[in-house]
Amino acid sequence: MVIPALDGSAEPDSGRGGDATADEAAGASAARPLPVIELSGVSYTYTGEADPVLRDISLQVRDGEFVLILGPSGCGKSTLMLLLNGTVPHAMKGKLEGEAVVCGKKVADTQVAEFATDIGMVFQDPEAQIVNTNVRDEVSFGLENLCRPVDEILARQAEALAIVGLADAGDRSIFDLSGGQKQRVSIAAALAARPRLLVLDEPTANLDPAGMAEVFAVLERLNRELGTTIILVEHRVDELADKISRVVMMDRGRVVFDGSPREAFAARREGRSEEGEPIPTSAWFPQVAEFALGLAEARGAPLAPDALPLNVAEAIAHGERAIAAGGAVRAIAPAAADARPAANPKPLLAIRNLRFGYERAVPILRGIDLDLGSHAIVALMGRNGSGKTTLACTLMGINPPPKGAILLNGKDLAGLGPKEISVEIGYVFQNPDHQFVTDRIDDEIAYGLRVRDYAEDAIERIVAEVLGIVDLAAYRHRSPFSLSLGERRRLSVATMLVLEPHLLVLDEPTIGQDYERARQLMGLMVRLRERFGTTVIMITHDVRLVAEWADRVLVLSEGRLAFDGAPDDLFADAPLLAEAGLLPPPVFEVSAALARRYPGRVPSATLSLHQLVHWIAAEGGS
Amino acid sequence: MARSTVFRFRSGDSILHRLDPVTRLIWVLCVSLLAFGAYIAWVQIAIAVAVLIAAIALGRISPVEIFRGTWIFLAAVASFFVIQTITLPGTHVAFRLIGHPIYVESADYALASALRIYTIILASLVFVRTTDPRRLAISLVTQLRIPYRIAYAFFIALRIVPTIEEEIKAIRAAQMVRGVASERGVGGRIRDTKRYAMPLLVGSLRRASTMVMSMEARAFGAYPDRTFLDVPRMGFGARLFCAAMLALVVAWYTALALGYVHAIYVFAPN
Repeated sequence: MVIPALDGSAEPDSGRGGDATADEAAGASAARPLPVIELSGVSYTYTGEADPVLRDISLQVRDGEFVLILGPSGCGKSTLMLLLNGTVPHAMKGKLEGEAVVCGKKVADTQVAEFATDIGMVFQDPEAQIVNTNVRDEVSFGLENLCRPVDEILARQAEALAIVGLADAGDRSIFDLSGGQKQRVSIAAALAARPRLLVLDEPTANLDPAGMAEVFAVLERLNRELGTTIILVEHRVDELADKISRVVMMDRGRVVFDGSPREAFAARREGRSEEGEPIPTSAWFPQVAEFALGLAEARGAPLAPDALPLNVAEAIAHGERAIAAGGAVRAIAPAAADARPAANPKPLLAIRNLRFGYERAVPILRGIDLDLGSHAIVALMGRNGSGKTTLACTLMGINPPPKGAILLNGKDLAGLGPKEISVEIGYVFQNPDHQFVTDRIDDEIAYGLRVRDYAEDAIERIVAEVLGIVDLAAYRHRSPFSLSLGERRRLSVATMLVLEPHLLVLDEPTIGQDYERARQLMGLMVRLRERFGTTVIMITHDVRLVAEWADRVLVLSEGRLAFDGAPDDLFADAPLLAEAGLLPPPVFEVSAALARRYPGRVPSATLSLHQLVHWIAAEGGS
Repeated sequence: MARSTVFRFRSGDSILHRLDPVTRLIWVLCVSLLAFGAYIAWVQIAIAVAVLIAAIALGRISPVEIFRGTWIFLAAVASFFVIQTITLPGTHVAFRLIGHPIYVESADYALASALRIYTIILASLVFVRTTDPRRLAISLVTQLRIPYRIAYAFFIALRIVPTIEEEIKAIRAAQMVRGVASERGVGGRIRDTKRYAMPLLVGSLRRASTMVMSMEARAFGAYPDRTFLDVPRMGFGARLFCAAMLALVVAWYTALALGYVHAIYVFAPN
């Protein structure tokens, strides 16, 4: 139950953050909490599939735990979540083997509705899972279905909304809420039935950093103060690492690690992608853990799990201890000089006092001035609704550009048709499926060339080359819709790069996919920049992505350009970050704090983990 | 991303918003029946004006929004009016257009036909704009005794229309970026539809699957009945209004059947 804590029966802080972890606390506790989930040798194969998606999983979760499930796309995380309330195997049919007992009920014998008071489910897409049009109706929905009396429904609905911090929002329309608020409503809708277990499958994947922080704050409070058991699939570990009590890592249907967060992130691991390729799991590691691992490697000493930092404060303390401990045992190479090519000053795109709104009374872009040259990776950031996508759509001519406001290679964009614009500018949409227009992968890549009347032999040559670049040559005769999400993303990029555009817009490359996929995509962007001099504009909320790849950052705030400069300068500007709802990457915060205290060792704040490790570890060694 | 369509529920506190959905439904049906049965232009003008006043005064829908929501239909019915006026026979010639006689009776009949269509569209706009689909579904269950699973299926169909509209816009924009231009003719339309259909189908199935999982996880359909909070009720005034509307429809059709209604022309001499 969520509410037992209100009458004092919940465990106190079970050890997130600080030095005590939940399993340590649990070990010290005399009475062990009751098991909520008991899986023993569970395998699951969807009907019509040859291979099981879950393989021999054994897992026990007890009351009050906060478990983070990590793993690459396609590893079976979502199926495991759906197994917990019986959606698998009762709604999504297949063959279930082994013993699965949740909240004391055998999953194989219990219908989904019978779990409604035991388990609250929250899914990734806030738009798709909200049934009603009003906040109060949505939160009451489950209790109405359970035929509870009106008075009880009203009381529990008010209680659930108060827990998620939306006590005054009951009468609001769902359509007027931000993404973070919508997910809090979904959590309240799950909590209204007072479930014993809350299951969330990537609840912040579609949210901006402000929305993500809202959701994580609610989850932390639920677990710490109310003792709710939480199982969460997420990729955003930086913000979660010190809130969770346990980490379960999955790979190709199996549990490959199960332990405390410090144990989980104290050693590097390797996983496999949906396509079966080996990938490093560092992407799912908190950056502060990466920092400690980097320092340990530089010093040639193994890192004890209990010394691993899980948040910025612990990482600063870890860095201070390392500085106090003296020089490195072995020197590491200094960070490579910035290999990013200098942007070409000749303007590719010139924007002058750009104003745009879908309705005259509601301007979205309010006078933007901007020059972009070639050979650059530019991040476009800002809160949801700040005008990022509207600006990108105006560049593409999807929104009619005002006359004289946008010059592309010196030509007024308002005078160019869609075909002419698409030769110069490519746009990779957030959802790759929207862009597919043919039934075969090679036809899909050839489409843009055929529209522009290329000769067939030239088309064949270019298609073969591009298929090689995006690593899809083996599937050329298959339907685009039969590919995995990562492959569909690559195909979507391929359909754009075949035209060798001078400017490529990438809409939210990390949404709905794991960091490793985003890295692959960004690797492709770098190759484009180097090979064709392409300028890439990526619309993103992901500060780690920006820190790692962007040459320049633009921040929009309420339709105006609030910042245009280098990533380091952006993350040093705290008021601007607050205005744009952004958080600096942990390495920047750690290095900034160390630079203030030890300017002789850490000369400045940096976005490069490698650089920071080098500064700290290099004394006397390099 | 883009401007929102006018044909969509907007919450509000107007007199029409406060009415229960079944009363509004009866109002739309009665207005439609009256419009269908009226071949006299003056009567159509009276009905259209009454609906317009209801929209502006009782539903608080601004004239600008009404125009934005119905201009395309206005253009269509205007063309309809012109074509019928030119082609229908009559007795009194108003004027000649390149030698072709234009009759005043034709203009009267064409005006009535055109306004009939527009009135029904306008009444539908008022209904959609002021009726929360969920309250309508609840009314269907509690007032009209329709099974709640069916009523919710109807509600969800209405609920996801804006989402599908947004998805179609996104697909159109995404395909425009590929250099795809809309094709002309029936064959072109079919090819256009095929290109949109697959991404739309894939996206809709994905959303529908999440919504079903979200509903089942909250025990939807587990019991034959369910509790409803805030059940809309038809008050005394609303009952009286519905009775009056129904009486008006019955009276009008009875008068028509008994031959009491005589044409009063707008353009033609009476």
